[in-house]
Amino acid sequence: MIREFGTSDFLFILFAVRWTLLLSAIAFAGGAVGGLVIALARVSQNRIFSGLALGFIRVFQGTPLLMQLFLVFFGINIFGISVTPLLAAAIALTLHASAFLGEIWRGSIQAVPGGQHEASWALGLGYLDRMKSIILPQAARISVAPTVGFLVQLIKGTSLASIIGFVEMTRAGQIINNATFEPFTVFGLVAVFYFILCWPLSIAARQLERRFSRATAR
Amino acid sequence: MNYDFNFAPVLANYPRLLEGAWVTIQLSFGAMVAGLVVGLMGAIAKNAGPRPLRWLVDAYVEAIRNTPFIIQIFFIFFGLPAIGLRFSPNVAALVALIINVGAYATEIIRAGIESINRGQVEAGIALGMKRAQIFRYVILRPALRTVYPALTSQFIFLMLTTSVVSVISASDLAAAGNDINAETFASFEVYLVITVIYFILSIGFSALFSAIERVAFSYPLSR
Amino acid sequence: MKILNLVLAAGGLAGALAATSLPATAQTPQEIKDRGTVNIGMLVDFPPFGILNTEGKPDGYDADVAKLLAEDFGVKVNLVPVTGPNRIPYLLSNRIDFLVASLGITPERAERVDFSQPYAGIEISVVGEKGLDIPDAAALAGQSVGVARASTQDTSLTKVAPEGTNIQRFDDDASAVQALISGQVPLIGASNTVIAQIQKLRPDTYDKKFDLAQQVQGVAVKPGSDELLKEINQYLTEAKKDGKLNAIHEKWLGQPLPDFIADDTAPRVDGKPASK
Repeated sequence: MIREFGTSDFLFILFAVRWTLLLSAIAFAGGAVGGLVIALARVSQNRIFSGLALGFIRVFQGTPLLMQLFLVFFGINIFGISVTPLLAAAIALTLHASAFLGEIWRGSIQAVPGGQHEASWALGLGYLDRMKSIILPQAARISVAPTVGFLVQLIKGTSLASIIGFVEMTRAGQIINNATFEPFTVFGLVAVFYFILCWPLSIAARQLERRFSRATAR
Repeated sequence: MNYDFNFAPVLANYPRLLEGAWVTIQLSFGAMVAGLVVGLMGAIAKNAGPRPLRWLVDAYVEAIRNTPFIIQIFFIFFGLPAIGLRFSPNVAALVALIINVGAYATEIIRAGIESINRGQVEAGIALGMKRAQIFRYVILRPALRTVYPALTSQFIFLMLTTSVVSVISASDLAAAGNDINAETFASFEVYLVITVIYFILSIGFSALFSAIERVAFSYPLSR
Repeated sequence: MKILNLVLAAGGLAGALAATSLPATAQTPQEIKDRGTVNIGMLVDFPPFGILNTEGKPDGYDADVAKLLAEDFGVKVNLVPVTGPNRIPYLLSNRIDFLVASLGITPERAERVDFSQPYAGIEISVVGEKGLDIPDAAALAGQSVGVARASTQDTSLTKVAPEGTNIQRFDDDASAVQALISGQVPLIGASNTVIAQIQKLRPDTYDKKFDLAQQVQGVAVKPGSDELLKEINQYLTEAKKDGKLNAIHEKWLGQPLPDFIADDTAPRVDGKPASK
């Protein structure tokens, strides 16, 4: 039962990386859709939409991700539907990402100079055209760096799915540690894997930001 | 939907929830204050330290910012005793939180210091200010004011991160929730109540930060 | 763009996942048989009862018992890993049909779930660093003791621990053992099987201080699932008679099934300290 840390343990943790990546990808894709909706609702003229979006952002940015995971995990059952830990984690992280991306993108949309809005009004463009052709493309450029930065936060956030029992990288590390009792090696290794995933993104985010601020410097 | 909500056993345990919330507040506050100090030292070292020290600070900041907190706390609690460093769970939690937030604070404050215009410093020299004075009044205070929003939202994020420390048997709010859940099995109700308490705490800390901002940075803006 | 493709693929996958989430769970044996699969919850961090083997599959004593029961039902087995604190919520929230999760039979738990006859039994003791003189519970005052949260160790220790005992609750047994080995706590509450492993891992470092409780483990079903429970009991009785359960016990624990399990003569309550 208790064994030395060996190649199979290394591979077990290495293979768990794909679950971390999958969960991150799902949450990011879902969060991109949700975040766009939230951001558009936040900047809309409609008070109800923007109020609801603000409430959503406040709640998800003001409560721990771990509790959001627990609530989704145990909460969906109330409706008589059972979910796997992967699905629960995917839903919770999607909501979480929607709130953060919604707030980042709201800022980006509002950073587009007001003259652009007015000019597209003056051209008689409707809401969809105005957003699609004028505002969002410019906002997208502004938002790239913070969005990549958030992706790092999201990848790290998937580690909490371990607590509801989803076997991603952190849980894999715990399971191996429970059989080998070599925490220094095991958690050190897991940390290195996370670092390999996150560091290039962090560097990219920083360079994008630098390039952007140079481009907009007057 | 045929689920009977049962909040009674959760609310009956309110003294334990309060106790846990108090630990969470202490951990958060302690880590914020100490993390600010670490961040200041890190930023100064990064700005004016010798090259090896700057590399060391870089390594620290990058290592912390690119790994999950839960791994950091496992490492500190279970791994460090191997080299003779041993803390009780709550202290280990505090240490892990300080190390974590210190890295973010370093990066934020460094960016603030870099945003200060060289001309301001030169103006300070021209006015005959001492080095320490220039650092304090011309660099640090405006820098802190610039990054204050980023710093405080990082602190709120830190407070929410403390919910993870129960994995090393620290006795915070989330741990109180886990214990009550283990006794009552009213999982959803327990975690809903806990989540609401965290939300109240984050509103409270936000209010505190605005109050501090009014007091500390109320001098007129000069552009 | 590669990233875009990845994101799109992941989005499609998320949809597929939503469609294949676990179906709601049956309470009667007939529902399980109609479905053709039985979902059984078990621990994977409680050696030798529940572990993940080198292929990453659930294994151990509980896994073999679960497979045996599935065979008796004539259905395929789906082993669902659960954790100590969430195993009962898992059952009550319909994620699984029943638990073969080293769940000790206690009066508190019996209010929440229905138990089968015992299929395994362990002894719970306080174990700690050699040289620490802890002859009984009263000597625990001022000491730190690690346990797995919500385990039998936790409840029985909490019951006998005097004022001033610092009980540190971890998420599972392994974390408590890790804390002992790291030197974070000088004492832990653990079962005889866990203690045997610790002594194998670090010989001559730790010894048993005193016994806390004798625990018998049962299969747990949702309350009111009488028909299901009846069938499970019937299969367990058969497995005890024809020696299959004993063989599994020999395989994982290196010793025959204890008499108090084989004859089903164990007291059905626990939590009280063993009499000295």
